[in-house]
Amino acid sequence: MKFQPVKWLVYLLIAVLVVTQLYPLVWLLLYSVKTNDEILSGKFFALPESWKWTNYREAYTGGHYIKYLGNSVLVTGVTMLCVILLSAMVAYAITRFKFRYGPAVMLVFLVGMMIPLQTTLLPLMKIFKFVHVLGTYWALILPYVAFQLPISIFILSGFMRSIPTEMEESAFIDGASVYRIFRSIILPITVPPVMTVCILTFISIWNEYIMAATFTSSESMKTLPFGIYSFVSQYSVNYGDIGAYMVMGAAPVILIYFVLSNRITKGMVAGAVKG
Amino acid sequence: MNVLKVSALTLGVFVLPALIIYICIVFIPIVVSFYTGMLDWNGIGEAKFVGFDNFHNLLFHDKVFWPAVRRTLLYAVASMIEIPFCLMMAVLLNRYVRKGNTLVSIYFTPVILSVVIIGQLWKTIYNPASLGGMLNQALTTFGLDSWTHTWLSEPKIAIYCIFFVSLWQYFGYHLLIQFTGVQNIPSEIYEAAKIDGADGFKADRYITFPLIVPIFKISIVLAFIGSLQSFDMIWIMTGGGPGNATDVLATYMYKTSFNSQQFGYGSAIASFLVILCLVFTVAINTVMNRVDKKFS
Repeated sequence: MKFQPVKWLVYLLIAVLVVTQLYPLVWLLLYSVKTNDEILSGKFFALPESWKWTNYREAYTGGHYIKYLGNSVLVTGVTMLCVILLSAMVAYAITRFKFRYGPAVMLVFLVGMMIPLQTTLLPLMKIFKFVHVLGTYWALILPYVAFQLPISIFILSGFMRSIPTEMEESAFIDGASVYRIFRSIILPITVPPVMTVCILTFISIWNEYIMAATFTSSESMKTLPFGIYSFVSQYSVNYGDIGAYMVMGAAPVILIYFVLSNRITKGMVAGAVKG
Repeated sequence: MNVLKVSALTLGVFVLPALIIYICIVFIPIVVSFYTGMLDWNGIGEAKFVGFDNFHNLLFHDKVFWPAVRRTLLYAVASMIEIPFCLMMAVLLNRYVRKGNTLVSIYFTPVILSVVIIGQLWKTIYNPASLGGMLNQALTTFGLDSWTHTWLSEPKIAIYCIFFVSLWQYFGYHLLIQFTGVQNIPSEIYEAAKIDGADGFKADRYITFPLIVPIFKISIVLAFIGSLQSFDMIWIMTGGGPGNATDVLATYMYKTSFNSQQFGYGSAIASFLVILCLVFTVAINTVMNRVDKKFS
C-alpha cells in the first residue's frame, strides 16, 4: 500500500493531460454554437445559452463545403491507389529481382526523404505550368504520390523480405509469370503492411495544406484544409460560423479515427518505427 | 534474396514509373532550384545570371537570414524536449493504468487533425480577450490580468507560443511511440528482476531505460527532422510575423519566392535549406547511432 500517494498523483497527472489535450477541441465545439456576444463575453468555460445551430447552416451554405470535401476524397483516394501500386512494385523489384541497381534505387528514395517539400514548390510550379499540369488535379496528386513513395517502399520492402520465397518458386515452376506471381501471391499476402501505408498516406495527404494552397487557385479545386483556411480568412463577421466550419472540417477525420483508432495508432507506430 | 531473373522490360515496368515520378518531382526541382538560385529573376522579366551573388548576399548581408536559421534549429531542438516527458508518461501509464491504450488514443487525437485546424484553433485561443481568446479570458477570470498578452503579436514571445502548439499537437504521437515501446518489453524480465529485488523505479532505471533506447532514438530523430522542415504551423499562425519575428528558413523562403516574387533569391534560400536539412539529418542520425551503440 505504500505506493498509494504516487498512484493518485499519477492519476491526477493523467487527468490534467486529458484536459489539456482535449479541452481545446471541446472549446472549439462550444465556440461553434455560440453567438458573437457569448464568445466575446469572456466566459470561456460557459455552455452556450441556446445552441445556435444556424452557425452550421451558414457555414455550410457559405463555404462550398461539399465541393472541398469531394476534392479531398478524390485527391486522397487517387493518391492512395497510386502510392500502393507503385510502391508495391518497386518494393517487389528491390527485394526479389536479380538486379544490380536495387540498392542504388533504394538510396535514391532514401536521400529524397531528407528533402523538405517546401523547397520544391517554386520549381514544381514552373515545371507544372510548362507542361500544362497546373490547374488540374494531377498538380496535387503527382507530388503527393512522390512524397509518400519512400516511406511506403520502406514499409512494403521490409515486409516482402520476410515472405518466404518457396511459394513464388513453385508458382514459377507451374508456369506463372512475374506479373501473375505479383498479382496473385504477393499482393494478397502484403495486405497488412498495405493497410499501414494507407493510413500513413491518408493522414498526411488528407491534412496537407501548403501544396494545395500553392498549386490550386480556382475555387473548384480546393481541398478541405485549404478550403478551411480560405473560409476562416474571409469570414470574420460571425465567429461562430468560423468555429462551425472548423468543426465540419475536422469531422471526417475525427469520425474515421473514432471507428478505426486502434488501426490508425498501430499504423502510425509502424510508420514511425520502420521509417 | 534476389531469386528472379527477369527481362529488362519487366524490370522497367516495375521500377521505372515510381522512379521517374520521384526523380521528376523531387530531384529535378532541387537541381532547378540550385540553378535558379544563381539568377536575378522576378519570374516575368529577363533572368540575369549572377553566379553566387544571391548566396553571398544571403550569407553576409541579409539581416533576416541568420535569425531565421537560428529559429529553425531552435525549433528542431525545442521539439525534442517533450520526449523524455513522454517516456515518463508511457512508463507511468503502463504501470498504473489498466487500459493505457485507450488513454493514449485520446491523447493522440490532435495528431490526426490538419495543421490548418490546429493552427487556426490556437490562433483563436491566443487572441486578445476582446476577440474571444480563451487563454486571455482564462487568465482574466483567475485574476491574472497582468499575465495577459497579445501572444502572437509580441515579437519576443510569439515563436514560443508556436513551439508550444507544436509540442501540444505531437505530444500524443511521441507518447504513442514510447508507450508501444514500453509495452513491447517482455514482462518476464520484470518478473525476474522482482525476484532479484528490483521493482518500481529501480526496474525502470535498469530495465526500461536501456531497452527503450532504440525507440527513444526514433522519437528524437523524427521530432528533430520534422521540425527542421517545419513550415505549416508557423505559416498558418503568424505567417512569419510580426515583422520577421517568427520566420524560419522555410517561411522566409516562401515569402521571398511567392509574396515578393524574388525567384532567384528565394531559390537561393531553398538551396540553403536543402543543404541544411541534409547535413543535420545525417548529423543527428550519426549521433544517435553512436548513442545506440553505447547502450547495446
